[in-house]
Formats: sequence, structure tokens, C-alpha cells
Amino acid sequence: MKVPVEWLKEYVTVRLSPKALAERLTMAGLEVVAIHDADGGPVLDLEITPNRADCLSIIGIAREVAAITGQRPKLPTAVRSSLFSVRSKRQHRTLNTEHRTEVKIRIEDRAGCSRYIGRLIDGVKIGPSPDWMQRRLLACGARPINNVVDITNYVLLESGQPLHAFDFDRLTQGTILVRRAQPKEPITTLDGTSRTLSADMLVIADAKHSVAVAGVMGGLGSEVTLTTRNVLLESALFDPTTVRRTARALGMSSESSYRFERGVDPVGVETASAHAASLIVKLAGGSLRQVLDVGARPPKRTAISLEAARASRWLGIRRSPAEIRTALARLSCHVVSRGTEDILQVSVPSFRRDLAQDVDLYEELARIGGYDRIPSSLPIGPLAGSSPQSEDTERFQQLRSLRCLCAGLGLTEAITWGLVSEADLSRCGYTAAQSVRLANPLSQDHAYLRPSLLMGLLQAVRRNHTQGESGVRLFEVGNVMPSGAREEDSRLGFVISGLWVRDWHAKDVCDFFRLKGLIEAITDRFCRSAARFVEPPGKARDTNPHPTRGATSRTPGQVRGSLCGVEAPRPWADPSQSTSVKLDGCDVGEAGRVYRAITEALDIEQDVWFAELSANALVAAASRSPIAVSAPTVFPPVKRDLSVLLDEGSPYEAVFHAICEIGGNLTSRVELIDRYAGPAIPAGKYSLTFAIEYREATRTLTASEVDALHQRIGQTLTGRFNARLR
Amino acid sequence: MNLDSPEPKKGRLLLRSHTSPVQIRVMERRKPPLRIVVPGKVFRPDPLDPSHSFMFHQVEGLMVDDRTSFADLKGVLEHVLKALFGAKTKTRFRPHYFPFTEPSAEVDIACSACRGKGCSTCARKGWLEIMGCGMVHPNVFRAVGYDPRAVQGFAFGMGVERIAMLQHAITDIRLFFENDLRFLEQF
Ligand SMILES: [Zn+2]
Repeated sequence: MKVPVEWLKEYVTVRLSPKALAERLTMAGLEVVAIHDADGGPVLDLEITPNRADCLSIIGIAREVAAITGQRPKLPTAVRSSLFSVRSKRQHRTLNTEHRTEVKIRIEDRAGCSRYIGRLIDGVKIGPSPDWMQRRLLACGARPINNVVDITNYVLLESGQPLHAFDFDRLTQGTILVRRAQPKEPITTLDGTSRTLSADMLVIADAKHSVAVAGVMGGLGSEVTLTTRNVLLESALFDPTTVRRTARALGMSSESSYRFERGVDPVGVETASAHAASLIVKLAGGSLRQVLDVGARPPKRTAISLEAARASRWLGIRRSPAEIRTALARLSCHVVSRGTEDILQVSVPSFRRDLAQDVDLYEELARIGGYDRIPSSLPIGPLAGSSPQSEDTERFQQLRSLRCLCAGLGLTEAITWGLVSEADLSRCGYTAAQSVRLANPLSQDHAYLRPSLLMGLLQAVRRNHTQGESGVRLFEVGNVMPSGAREEDSRLGFVISGLWVRDWHAKDVCDFFRLKGLIEAITDRFCRSAARFVEPPGKARDTNPHPTRGATSRTPGQVRGSLCGVEAPRPWADPSQSTSVKLDGCDVGEAGRVYRAITEALDIEQDVWFAELSANALVAAASRSPIAVSAPTVFPPVKRDLSVLLDEGSPYEAVFHAICEIGGNLTSRVELIDRYAGPAIPAGKYSLTFAIEYREATRTLTASEVDALHQRIGQTLTGRFNARLR
Repeated sequence: MNLDSPEPKKGRLLLRSHTSPVQIRVMERRKPPLRIVVPGKVFRPDPLDPSHSFMFHQVEGLMVDDRTSFADLKGVLEHVLKALFGAKTKTRFRPHYFPFTEPSAEVDIACSACRGKGCSTCARKGWLEIMGCGMVHPNVFRAVGYDPRAVQGFAFGMGVERIAMLQHAITDIRLFFENDLRFLEQF
């Protein structure tokens, strides 16, 4: 809203510079976003919050300036006298009966229009408005048209009450009817656009057609032109919701609709009409023949009870009833104390429709005094000790530990888009049909909720490789909407690609074992529980614990795994180098190499290793397993190596667990120290060597009991895996 | 969001545009005194440009008991902003309008680029808007079943990326979501 300082000064004394005035207004909640220079002096550009409809006028701003600078506004007599009064009788005054045709006004729809005042002015001469008026209009961003139209716009800007002037002779039978539009009723509005109305819209009609969209815009057929002689001036009170819906449905907004939507001062309807009519008589000649006021009612006024002590407690400042009374009086409130001294009854002026409860008045007290005059204090009183630490806090802290652990493992935290494109989905083997699409996406690039953290992390890998990064290690903790699910799930995803360590010989490249190692580090340290890696069902057993590069890629979309009971596709993973991850017997995620077809489509040359674990499952496991500590034993270990020749179909993991199972508590450590497949070994076989450490907590083991156990392990492997001891 | 429910509202999902619903859920579940901080991801229908993003993070705070006042709100937020931007940070509280607080305020910090004189960073205002806050409206207490005459307190909310941008003189919000290691590794 633009306010020429020169115009403002007509209603209030301003001794401040425009800059200082802007500062004061801003600190009173009427933010001045710019000061422009116009013909006629500086113009303040204010951003008015939606609650302050009363400030959408020069007089409204003048009232505020007066309140914050401790003066009385210099309002026009008409405005002042009507502050607390409305003529309650239905008015019908005919001042000049020379002509036959009289105005007839009927409000058919009282819900849409509670009051309508028509003033008929005869014998006007249409021409340009005076320079001073045109200057002010231009400074406010309004285009001068002719004297009568300019006066309606001028009084709107001055008072905030929208007005409209009809060419009276173009209203059939001199009739004004306020009614709902007929279905598909046509009208051409002042902007030259033909519009089709619907039955919930309110119109002003003459005896035949609609002549204006009520509160929004006049019709072209009844506008004031150079040949107009008699003018009917409309000043009315339209329902904010009706105007808002109509303006939105028609896709148009005007200075009128903007004000009606926010609610105009019911008292201003008459004063603005009277003022505009007198300006028309003065500047365009003619004489006021008839005034018709339909629907006038005395305003309902209820007082707000304000308790001084409560206001003080709310704001944290001490204010006496007398101080409160003085402050509110500056805002044109009428304050009386009734009964006890501490409780004030406050009547608010008709233009402050935003003040409805005591807290609204607390804000006014703080605002008029200045927020900067309220001292800062720190809260005292018990910390929220009565409520135990909530689950949310616990979970938040757990997730933060998880993040710290990931960062400690050399991964960098990423935050990727929660919304992905259809191309992202199909590239990674997900279907749009299984994914949740936004009803109104801003762009097709971000139209679906991500079913996995993979899409975003792949984009991050691509970006970093493009920027010349030789090794990328990222993790993200975030929500996904799994395929076919209706609820979000929280995941930890991480992705490694390229060099694992960046050093001069650059030999350490990310591979399956790095990925597996990361998962183990996370489950061991965070969950205090060992992850198990399980091949997905239906997959040919991969006998090679060292997956070779260059294995043939299969088509995406064949393998399905599951995540904590929910069927979740794992269409991105090359089955020859991927696995499900289990923790305490429950599926918690997936890990593996992303299909080369996918990475190649993204121009990523290096292999990309990705894992996604259920963050909730990790947190649950962490809460399940408290730290268990025992003192290390003082008795020495006995070490034995075990070399076995195995069929290619016997996986390392099964052999490892068999050793641990047979050895029981006595095997304190089992480590793979060698793997061999080559010329010295028969085809279809491979060899593993384990270093086994035997130890008993309470005594020294004898060589013979270790030998017996070691032998039993060897026999079990022979029997169970068709192994041959070497 | 389209989850094929024929009935409007029922069964359909909405990306949250702020984290305030969390405050309501906590109030429905717990009785005062309350002191909570709510961080979270939010979505807005803003096309991506250097200063807008359809996804960002918010931190909201809520403190409710029988005495916490507007003066306390000022004290706490001044403390927070000094912790974030340095002990000498100048702040100001400007009246504003939010439907769920009364009084409401926007909090500005003095522009560090021009020391309050006005420059392009602060759009010549000398101040940078940093968060919104206010005293929780009694209607909110009523809605969650608290006695509006017996409790009072404040709420505030700020954008994490905006704070980080001001703290580190970053001019493009998109940097936070591109995940360029050269950017991420500086934090
Ligand atoms: Zn600046």
C-alpha cells in the first residue's frame, strides 16, 4: 500500500523525516518496504498484514501515526462524528424532484450485502480531475481516468471504503438490485473482458442485466463516460467471503475486492459516500438529488474484558490499569473499569475488526509501547522435569549418534531431494504405478516421493565424479515412501564409489568388502549386534567371497528382497554382487553393487556400491542390546590354523558360522587368513584358511583338549560341506 | 497427493509446509510444563532458485507453563541468536501477524555486511529477517484441551538453511542439496 507523505500530513502532524517515520511504522508492525520519490514528494510503500484491513487507507495510516506519536488524528468532520454512531433509520431523502426517474434500490441477498447506499447526482460535467488529485492518485499507483471515477478511487484510497459510480441513465428503470448471478450469466467488466458468472456470485443488476460484479469490478455497459450527465454513486458493505470466492473464481483482483475481502469499516460506508458525493458536486458540478440508504443497522458492540494483571503476566511487564487505559485510548478504544479496579471493559472502534479477545489487546499494548521497550528476561521455574525424556528425544539422539558414527567411518552426510522424477524411478527399476505421485507437482523432476535414498545419492555421486572427485563416500538419513506402502519409513543409506582412500598409489578402490565392512562397523558399534549377510531367495549361490569385476550385468527388475517384513523391490542391485542384511534374525536392509546399466545411464564410469538399512530397525536393535562388559581373561590362548578345500558351492559365511557353532565359548576368535583358488587346486574347488584362537576364561586349556576340539571342527566341516582338510 | 481416495481429505496425504503440527501433537499428548524443539523437513510450492527451494528444514520451539512471558521469549531468542551469530549480535523484534500467536513478532538481526547501514544483502533495510515468533494464542490451547486461562507460553520457528546462509554468507540455497563434497566437507 502506497502512502504519499504529503497526503498523510493532511490528517496528522508529521515532524519526522520520511526515513524516521518509516522506521517508526515498521516497528509498530506496519512494515515500510521502500520509500519512493514521486511528483509531490516521498511515498512510503507499506506491507500491511492481513489482520490490519483498517490500515488499507491514508486515514488508517494517519490514525496509526497519531497513536504511535501520541497525537490526535485530524480527521474530516464527517469521519469524526460517525466514529461511534450510525444513523439507524432507513434513510430516504429526496433533495430535488425536478426529474421523474428516481433510484430504486433493493437488496435481495442480505447475506452477501448488508448495506447499500446510493447517492444520485444530477447534471455533472465529466472532464479531467484537478492536478492535485491526479498527482496523489498516480503516487498511489492509480491511473487517472475522469473526474467522477477519479473521485471514487481517491476516496477509496483515503478512507478504505470501495466506491463505484454508475452512469444512471444507463441503468434500466433506474433500478439497483443486489442479487446472486444467474447460472452462466454473462457480463463484460470494466477491463473489457467478457466473463461468465455462476450462481454463487453476487452481482449488482438493473431491471434487466447485471451491471457490476459486486465488490469486485463494474460492468462496461454502465460505466461513467464523457457523455454521462447523471451519476449514481454506490457505497456498500459486501460479505468478505463472497467477494473473495468470486474474485478468485474469476481470476481477478481489484483495489475494491482486496479491501472487501479483508473487511471494511461498517461505519465508513456512509462517510465515504457523503464525502465522495460532495467532491463530485464540487469538482464536476451537478447537484445531489437523492440519497437512498438500505440496510443500515446500529452496529453490535461488545466490550472486551481486560485484566491488567493477566496482561502484565502475559507480556512480562508491569502495567497499571491507568497506563493500560491511556495506551488503549490512543487507539480510539473506549475504556471503562467496572467493579474491581483491575478489570477494564474495552470497546474497540468499528474499524478495528481484528480486536476480538483480550490477547488482541495485549498485542496492542506491546505494539503501541514498542516491542523494544519490553525488557528481555530468561525464563525461570522448573525445567520441564515433570515430563520424562520423551521417545522422540530418545530417537532423535539415537539418530544423531548414528550420523556421528557414519561420519566417523569416513562418510560425508548428504541431504538429497525427497521428491524424484519418473525417469529416476524407472532408471532404478521402480515403477511409477507403485510410487506415490504428488497431485500438483511443481515440476516433473520432483513429482514422486522417493521409494529409496538411492536416486538422490546416485545424483550426488554423479555430481561429484563430474567435478573430478576420485572417491565419493556419502550417507543420508531420511524418510522414503517404500513402493506400495502408505506410510513413510526412515532409512540410512550410503553409497561408495571410486577410490576408497585417496593417496599417491591410488590402489584401494571401493568394493563389496568396503560396503560390507561399513555395515558391520555400524551394526557392531551402534547396535552391538553382528549383521548377517543373506543371499536373496531364488538367487544362484555366489561361491566367491571376492566378487570379480566385470561380471555380466543382468537386467534390472528381477530380484526382490524384503525389508523388515514389507515386500520391497531391490531392482537396482546386480544379484551376483548383492545381499540382504539381517540383524537379530530380522531383515534390516539391502546392499550391493548398482547395476552398471544404471550407473552408465548416468554417465558414472566407476562402480557404485549402495546399501540401505532401516533406521528404525537399527535404533530398535541399539535400544535392545545394552553394553555388556566382562574383564579380559588372564589365561593364555592356544592358536591353531585350519585349512579346508571346499566346493565352489559352499559359501564362506556358512563355514565361518559352523566353526563358531562347534567351537562354542572356547573359540575366542576365528579369522579368515587366506583364500586360494588356482592351479594347485582341483577345478570347482577353493581353499580357505582360518586362524582359530581357543581360550577358556577360568583356566589354561591343555593341548590335548584343544586338539580334540580342533579335530571335531574339522570333521564337522568335512561332513557338512564335503570339505577336505589340507 | 494422489492415493486414489474418492473422498476429499480422508485418506489423502499432504506434504507438510511447516512443522507446527508436531507441536499440536505433543500438546495433545502431554501436559505443561513443556519445552520442546521440533526440527524437520518441510515442503513449499516454490520453484527452485537461489533463494527458494521446494524442500528445506525448519526448527520450531515451544515453551508452555503458567508464567512464560513475551519478555522471556525475547530473552531466549536473543540468547539463541547470539549463540548463532556471535555475542555482539543486535536483534530487534518487529510486530507481525501470525494466526496462532498473539502478540506475534518477526525477529531481525542487524545486517553484518553493512553494520545496519543498508546494502544489497539486506535490501537496504540494514536488518535481516531471521525468524517468526509469538505468544501462543489461547485458541490453540483451547484446541488441545488446555485451560487457556491457566497456561501461557511462546512458540518460534526458523529456517535452517536461511540461518546457515546468513552465518556463512552463502547466496544460493541449492548448494545445500547438490551434495558437492567440496561444499559439504567444509562443515
Ligand atoms: Zn546490509
